[in-house]
Formats: sequence, C-alpha cells, structure tokens
Amino acid sequence: MDSNLAAGLAMIGAIGPGIGLGIGFSKAMEALGRNPEAAGAIFVPYILGLALTEAIGIYCLVVALILIFAGG
Amino acid sequence: MIHVEIAGETLFTIGWFEVTNSMVGAALASLLLLAGAWYITRRSALIPNRMQSLLELPVEWVAGIVEGSTSRWRGYVALVIGLFLMILVANWLGLLPGVGTIGINHTVEGHEVLTPLVRPAAADLNFTLGLAIITFVVFVWWGVRVNGPVGYLKELVGEPRYMAPLMFPIHLISELSRLVSLSMRLFGNVFAGEVLIATMLALTTATLFVLPLAFFVPSIFLGLELLFGAVQAMVFALLTMTYITMAIAEHEGDHASEHDGPEHRDKEADTHPASSPA
Repeated sequence: MDSNLAAGLAMIGAIGPGIGLGIGFSKAMEALGRNPEAAGAIFVPYILGLALTEAIGIYCLVVALILIFAGG
Repeated sequence: MIHVEIAGETLFTIGWFEVTNSMVGAALASLLLLAGAWYITRRSALIPNRMQSLLELPVEWVAGIVEGSTSRWRGYVALVIGLFLMILVANWLGLLPGVGTIGINHTVEGHEVLTPLVRPAAADLNFTLGLAIITFVVFVWWGVRVNGPVGYLKELVGEPRYMAPLMFPIHLISELSRLVSLSMRLFGNVFAGEVLIATMLALTTATLFVLPLAFFVPSIFLGLELLFGAVQAMVFALLTMTYITMAIAEHEGDHASEHDGPEHRDKEADTHPASSPA
C-alpha cells in the first residue's frame, strides 16, 4: 500500500506543468491573434516550449511509475 | 488484470546477449524504414510520383525547419531527419494490433502474466537513452569542433568572469541534464501511453456487457497516442537541432538573446530567444 500512496502523492507535482502549459498556450494564442501571419515563426519555439515544460510532468510520472513497479 | 513491465522482457538469449521485445520493435521499425527507403528510391525521378512525395513530405518539412535555424545546417540535417523518422515509425508501430498483446503466457507467482513478443521501441529506457547519448555526443562534438575545446569551456563559464564559480556548475549541470531530459521525456510519454491504452482496453472489456458502446473508447486513446507519438518524435528532433545550433552559435553580438536558451525560459517571461526578429 505504501508505494501506491507514494506514487499518488508524487503525481501532485504535475500541477506545475499543467499551469505552465496553459499559460504558454494562452500566450501563443495571444501572439497568433495579434499577428496571424507569424504562425510559422511561432510554431517551432512554441512546440519546443511545450515539450520542455511537459518534461517536468513526465519526470513526476516516471517517479510514480518507478514507485509502483519497482518500489517497496 | 493489467501488468506492464517497465523494462523490456527478454525473449531469448544468444550466448550472453539478451534479446528483449523492445529490441524486436526497434528492429522492425528500422527494417520498415530501410525497406521503404530502398523501394521508394529505386526509381526516383525528378518529378516525383505519389509514393516518393509521401516520403519527401516529412523529410522536406524537417529540413526546412533545420535550414531556417542556422547557416551550417548541412552537417547535421541528416541526423535530425533520421532521428525524427526513426522515432516516428517506432512510436506508430506500437499502435498496430498485436504489439503488446500477442505474446507468451507465463505463470508468475500464481497468476498468469503475458510477455508480449513486440513492444514499442521507445517504451524501453535503453532505446531512448541510446538516442539521447548520440545527441549528446554530437552536440558536444560540434561545440568543440567549432569553438575549440577551450572555447567550449569558456562558453560554460559565462560572460561576467567574476560570476564563474556560480555559473559554471549551473551551465555544466544544465548541459548534462539534457541527456536525462531527452531520454526521460520520450520514455515517459511512450510508456505512459502504453499503460493508458492497456488500462482503457481492460476497462472496456470489463464493462462491455454493461455498455456495448464502450468498444469505441480505446479508439480515442489510440488517436491520442498517434498524435503524441508524432509530437514526441518532432520534439526530440527539434531539440537535437536546437542544442546543436546553440553549441555552434557565435556568442559575440546578440549575447543577451542567445545565452538564455529554451531551457532557461519560463512561461512568465516575455522574451522569446529562439524567435526571429520579424
């Protein structure tokens, strides 16, 4: 039971990337609304920023998975 | 119930070499790419037919992004395209029926456990770590080749020399953590997707007699995995391109905009270092 509880607690850390992704996406949409022709210039840095932010959430998930499958 | 292993399961051993099912998945993806490339370039024409333009589509798109980032792109555009296509095919191959479900039944500790014959290649940390090591070696090598070994270390020290005892460990750790973050990002996404699809399939078979329309629920998550597999492939390739571009960039002139790479950027900042001033 302990490792399952610890895995659930580890996923609390996914709040941060959730907020970060939402803010990033809203800024990208705002920039796109101001200048729709800049979609090509926005796209690549936007995807990079999304991936780097989401990686933090993935770190939490990996810790949780390790706790479930190989923890005790 | 659901039993998904973090590590790839060994299928058979050849002497001391263990062949795991994710190795089989990676070999299948490589064979598919090689066979497709051989078949399509067998009669390649200047005006491409449909199959040739199908393969040229991702290649030209990634090459366009790489060309737009720096002027020395010819050195590493092949690596970026290769990484993108390999991870894309490996991820999408993991969605075919039979991958993860057709296997050998073992009996472990009383209950039955299925060992799948084929597993998505990126669901194994060894595969993603291997690709991340390749990327790490390539961008360190490019930085040393362009700036010289002393110049590369000088970049790590940073511009105000009196801040060196603080900035040097920070830069060093941030460069080393790229290895960890690249491998963990790809592994976490693909493995979590596999666990998600396994959970949805178990949920569907558990409720199928109560709710016959639950048949369509796993298809939503298969579509999600299709999208995420493509996005993660693109992110890995673009991050490789970004790291190499940052390693070979000249740091005189617009120092303030190029010194904070994407990993120093937080979401509240309103400066985008990687955007072109247009």
